[in-house]
Amino acid sequence: MNPLETRGPARILLWTALALALLLYGFPFLHLLLTSFKTPLEAIAVPPNVLPSVWTLENYVSALTRQGVDAALINSVVTALISTALSLVFAVPAAYAITRFRTPSGRVFILAALVTRMVPTIAVGAPLVEVMRNLGLTDTSFGLALAHTTISLPLSIWLMASFFEAVPDELSEAAQVDGCSRLQAMTRVVLPVVSGGLAVTAIFAFLASWNEFLFSLLLTSVRAQTTPVVIANFQSQFGLDWGGMTALAAVYSVPVIILTLFLQRHIVAGLTMGAVKG
Amino acid sequence: MLPAALFLAAFVLWPLARFVYDSFFEISPFAGSARTFVGFDNYVAAFTSEAFTSASVRTLVYTLFVVAMEFVLGLAVALLFTALGRRSTVFRTLFMYPLMIAPVVAGLLWRFLLIDNFGIVNELLFRAGLLASPDQIQWLSNPNLALFSVAIPDIWLTTSFITLVLFAGLQNIPGEVIEAARIDGARYPRILLSIIIPLLRPVIAVALIVRGIDAARAFDVILIQTDGGPQGSTTTLSLLIYRTMTRFGEPGLASAMGTVYLLAMLAVSIVAILLIWRPGAGER
Repeated sequence: MNPLETRGPARILLWTALALALLLYGFPFLHLLLTSFKTPLEAIAVPPNVLPSVWTLENYVSALTRQGVDAALINSVVTALISTALSLVFAVPAAYAITRFRTPSGRVFILAALVTRMVPTIAVGAPLVEVMRNLGLTDTSFGLALAHTTISLPLSIWLMASFFEAVPDELSEAAQVDGCSRLQAMTRVVLPVVSGGLAVTAIFAFLASWNEFLFSLLLTSVRAQTTPVVIANFQSQFGLDWGGMTALAAVYSVPVIILTLFLQRHIVAGLTMGAVKG
Repeated sequence: MLPAALFLAAFVLWPLARFVYDSFFEISPFAGSARTFVGFDNYVAAFTSEAFTSASVRTLVYTLFVVAMEFVLGLAVALLFTALGRRSTVFRTLFMYPLMIAPVVAGLLWRFLLIDNFGIVNELLFRAGLLASPDQIQWLSNPNLALFSVAIPDIWLTTSFITLVLFAGLQNIPGEVIEAARIDGARYPRILLSIIIPLLRPVIAVALIVRGIDAARAFDVILIQTDGGPQGSTTTLSLLIYRTMTRFGEPGLASAMGTVYLLAMLAVSIVAILLIWRPGAGER
């Protein structure tokens, strides 16, 4: 037991504090959910109510049938999936090489990858507009996925390296003694061992693309626009429809929240990795 | 390793090089038109413009405010979870949920909560008797307050990250040290200040640096809430550069501002990395 754990009657006080903190922390999103079930008029009523007086799906119907919303949701999924695949394809071999061969260049590379995380997004995004134009990828999901991969790749390399680090070298050596090639040792023996880590990395890469805004704003206009941009434009485009906005925001956030709550144990490992060991 | 390196070179380094290169030119916003080499003129223009210097100050204030609030709140919650022990696991998971929410959604949500006439926050404060009228606090339209109000969603989104990291760090503190201090008669505040925080120092440093860098780059959260207003009071560097580029049509000047911003961020991060990568932490 951790000696910082408190015993005795003080615990009741602590539980109360925790309940209060959770209530404060949970309230914003709860209010969003509750508002999404109000009628569009009640959503902007003065003074606002906490609970809907009539529960209705009106906002969901109106938000999801708005022009371009269905396409944007599909674009978000497609872009995030492509970007996740790209991240893993690039990150897994790189992280494997860095942890297995431990060359100085590997260490420099992983540091350099970390530094790219610190570059202001606009400094990469603005010139990428022209790069994409030259590649003929303007306003395509693939082009946007490439841009999103610049964000998720360094993180993915970093995470995968920490997962590979935990696998003893003997494992792949034994596989090679048994006749596997180096590549087979990685794909057949080491990768299955780190499958949990692979899943975490995939989720982080997916979320990075799913929630990204500035690249989407700069690199897409009509065909490949993703949902965050549509959510941001909701008001200027459709007037003061707060009800519809809350419904769309809920549709966009609830699935990823549920997904991550299911996988929370792995995610916590991913989030704290590096920070604590570093 | 090579494919990943090539990818990053093509889609991060090359664009960055273009960006820095552009900062030495005067560029017309219309594609295909002439560009003139102007040396350091854009930099002179940036440093002498009031917009740039005040946006820099705002970025700094915003970042410090976000990081300080997240540290205090995050540490408090981490200590609370530690004090409650294993039975708090479920709540730890629940506490994590904002991390998965898109910053755009968080920004809009808080704008909705804080909006002057029908925002729920003022209404609840009013009902609780803390405010004299529901529109007493003009969260997002008072220029003196707006910079701090726009930081709220950022704090709400990522305090969990600080909590998670600090919580993990707290679990690694050897129990004997704290037992010993307790036997010597040290009380909780003293243990916190003289033992826990010093032992957590490396973890705290990483957490704060990671968050500080993200906060300094904040864009969508602010754009969505105030679009840089009222009276420019929430125009941080990201927003200023974005506007200079797209709305005012001066890519050259925007690139110069961006380059200065980039160099400042890199300098801070490199110093930070060197500080953390102290001897003894080099096994990784």
